[in-house]
Amino acid sequence: MSYAYLFKYIIIGDTGVGKSCLLLQFTDKRFQPVHDLTIGVEFGARMITIDNKPIKLQIWDTAGQESFRSITRSYYRGAAGALLVYDITRRETFNHLASWLEDARQHANANMTIMLIGNKCDLAHRRAVTTEEGEQFAKDHGLIFMEASAKTAQNVEEAFIKTAATIYKKIQDGVFDVSNESYGIKVGYGGIPGPSGGRDGSSSQGGGCCN
Amino acid sequence: MQEPELHDLSDDADYAASQQQGSASMMRCDSGKRSSSSEPEGAEIVYLKDNVTIHPTQFASERISGRLKLIKQGSSLFMTWIPYKGQTTNARLSEKDRKLYTIRPVSFADVRSIRRHTPALGWQYMIVVLSSGLAFPPLYFYNGGVREFLATVKQHVFLVRSAEDANVFLVNDFENPLQRTLSSLELPRAVSIASVPSTPVSVRGSASRENEERTDVGVHDENSSTSRYNGRQRQKVHDPARDLSIHVLEKFSLVTKFARETTSQLFRETHSNGFDAFERRNTNQSVLDYNHKVDEDEEVPLKSPVAPDPLELERFQVLYQDHLMPTSTIVKQKAPYRKHNHDDEAATNVGTFELIDIKEFDKLSLVWGKPRQPPLGLEEWATFLDSEGRVVDSKALKKRIFYGGIEHKLRREVWAILLGYHTYESTYAEREYLRSIKKTEYETIKNQWQSISPEQAKRFTKFRERKGLIDKDVVRTDRSLSFYEGDDNPNVNLLRDILLTYSFYNFDLGYCQGMSDLLSPILFVMEEESESFWCFVALMERLGPNFNRDQNGMHTQLFALSKLVELLDIPLHNYFKQNDCLNYFFCFRWILIQFKRLGSWNYLFIHFPLCQHLFRVHVPIIM
Repeated sequence: MSYAYLFKYIIIGDTGVGKSCLLLQFTDKRFQPVHDLTIGVEFGARMITIDNKPIKLQIWDTAGQESFRSITRSYYRGAAGALLVYDITRRETFNHLASWLEDARQHANANMTIMLIGNKCDLAHRRAVTTEEGEQFAKDHGLIFMEASAKTAQNVEEAFIKTAATIYKKIQDGVFDVSNESYGIKVGYGGIPGPSGGRDGSSSQGGGCCN
Repeated sequence: MQEPELHDLSDDADYAASQQQGSASMMRCDSGKRSSSSEPEGAEIVYLKDNVTIHPTQFASERISGRLKLIKQGSSLFMTWIPYKGQTTNARLSEKDRKLYTIRPVSFADVRSIRRHTPALGWQYMIVVLSSGLAFPPLYFYNGGVREFLATVKQHVFLVRSAEDANVFLVNDFENPLQRTLSSLELPRAVSIASVPSTPVSVRGSASRENEERTDVGVHDENSSTSRYNGRQRQKVHDPARDLSIHVLEKFSLVTKFARETTSQLFRETHSNGFDAFERRNTNQSVLDYNHKVDEDEEVPLKSPVAPDPLELERFQVLYQDHLMPTSTIVKQKAPYRKHNHDDEAATNVGTFELIDIKEFDKLSLVWGKPRQPPLGLEEWATFLDSEGRVVDSKALKKRIFYGGIEHKLRREVWAILLGYHTYESTYAEREYLRSIKKTEYETIKNQWQSISPEQAKRFTKFRERKGLIDKDVVRTDRSLSFYEGDDNPNVNLLRDILLTYSFYNFDLGYCQGMSDLLSPILFVMEEESESFWCFVALMERLGPNFNRDQNGMHTQLFALSKLVELLDIPLHNYFKQNDCLNYFFCFRWILIQFKRLGSWNYLFIHFPLCQHLFRVHVPIIM
């Protein structure tokens, strides 16, 4: 499938906050209550459309446990977007946000777009973090914020797409040098019409994982 | 730029023009400081096109032009596209970019299809898609010539127009995937598509490494107007930084040769000796409610023309110590994991992987050149024991299990020994005695955390954290298996209790994700809590370093793996290098939980030192 841009995402946050479920909901549109725990890093991808342009999201889903940090950290590099996830029913996952941000600031590129997600908002009765707290934290740290539920799919699509739209806007504003892949953005083959207008419009094959 | 709808190229003016330009462009090249090129023996350039260009970005100034070539060697056809040197003034396009896009000799055995775009207006271009599913970026023919290219290809390889898209041409599209693989293996001594890496690594001075089957094809230097053949002249660069001794490398060379030969042999084997084993498998198969996670037929049947005694290779293990985890299963993938299409094929130095259909695989009757044996059963097991229950010849036992597996009902007894909970020298009585002592000991440790009151727990953060983590993870471990499925499954609670007890038994290591994956099959087989715990303890004696907080054990193994691939499969290594994955983090899970989620297990318990298997396990999976 051809794409105009490929954006690389990383999903981070404490273990058990629902990172893999968010990804599964986004890529497969389903919720799997019994899901094998993530070890190391896993991977998903989906095409979306922004500004009528096909954009491929390549999403790296990381393990939340502290002992895997040395591995997951290496995935920050070259990510254009990050979803930082906490669980609204577990206060400690919110309390750890600062350390996740610190990690991201240290290992990601400065222009990485970070979306803060308060997951499991379907479990309002067990809520331990208010929406306002989430909003405030996001505001204080310059993040985009949403509460979402991987279970009901509420705001899942929106979270991924809004992040992409923000990145896209940054590209339009010239924040990124898109030819430099360390920003986590790749220009697709065949997605962007060349100045010659010489292509016949049919899509190129193979996608973007080749050189 | 329009071309007539004919395939006759005799009057192709573009071609003539490009020939001329070709020589002109050669002059332009600066002096080559790179390694001199080498064209494989008997190689002949059957097609050459200049000003074939890649558009990495939308900016016209950032195009990379180069020369496209088809090279015929023996019955194989290769394609290269080498960007011109120093051609662009654009600073943003570094030499690195050009290197990145360079298409080093790629065999048409690895090409799946070619899509052509020959619009009435504008430039023609084509996209070459590899069997792996990867595609090279569109190659723009500024001077035309796509049809000529295709016509040339057609002369040398089996090319058919796709039924679905008239602009797509399928290469070697035999209906049967196996046939396809065979055809790619028929290549006369497959030429490696490796370029000489910037830091030469593959070739050491070891004589045994001199492998006549391989010829490295270097990057074609634009400076050389005629292709030169370097023969078997090999770089003999000694890198003092290298931590592996020459001795080890010599061993590697044997492995390389062996691996390659077995891989080729594998496919032939499929046709010849297959059926017996398939039948036997069916008759011997015990009921496995563990969803094939533990299956006595896990070992992989491979025929080797060389068939070295696996024990012989223990010497290698000694040299390489425990950096390599013992693994014995291989590429064999159980159907649910391996229902891929050809997207996952990849050609490497040792052949094309991933085409191996599990059905074909199961038919194989040989394991490491020896007949596959039925799983070890009760009667035979007794022959390995002396009158008091000691294992007389542990090596023979391991070997036996390696070649046949164990019947399920026997696993409980044998695993406890293989895992190291009981020693081979122990008698029936000693084992029984140990079981009872260990049961008490287990209860004691378990009681340590069970007796923690809620009040105490409030002031015991570490405990709460660990317990919380374990609680969260056991409900995310193998829940799709009937043994662990459903709410309030007692087996899930057992997993939790054992892990929590382990975190008290080994407080320094504690609990780390991945442990539950390792414990799960043990509990399934051992059934009993204390026994499972002690077997797990024994396993963690071996695998514990992998779970260290600093991940040292993992890094060591990933490093070892990277070195293996570097030595065994340069094209693959280069690919990883190019894609910045030399840290091999993508193998992290496979190694940490020993390929468990891929359905391979028995090897865990056979500490059978076979580095080839590591290679065979890892490399195909990596693909």
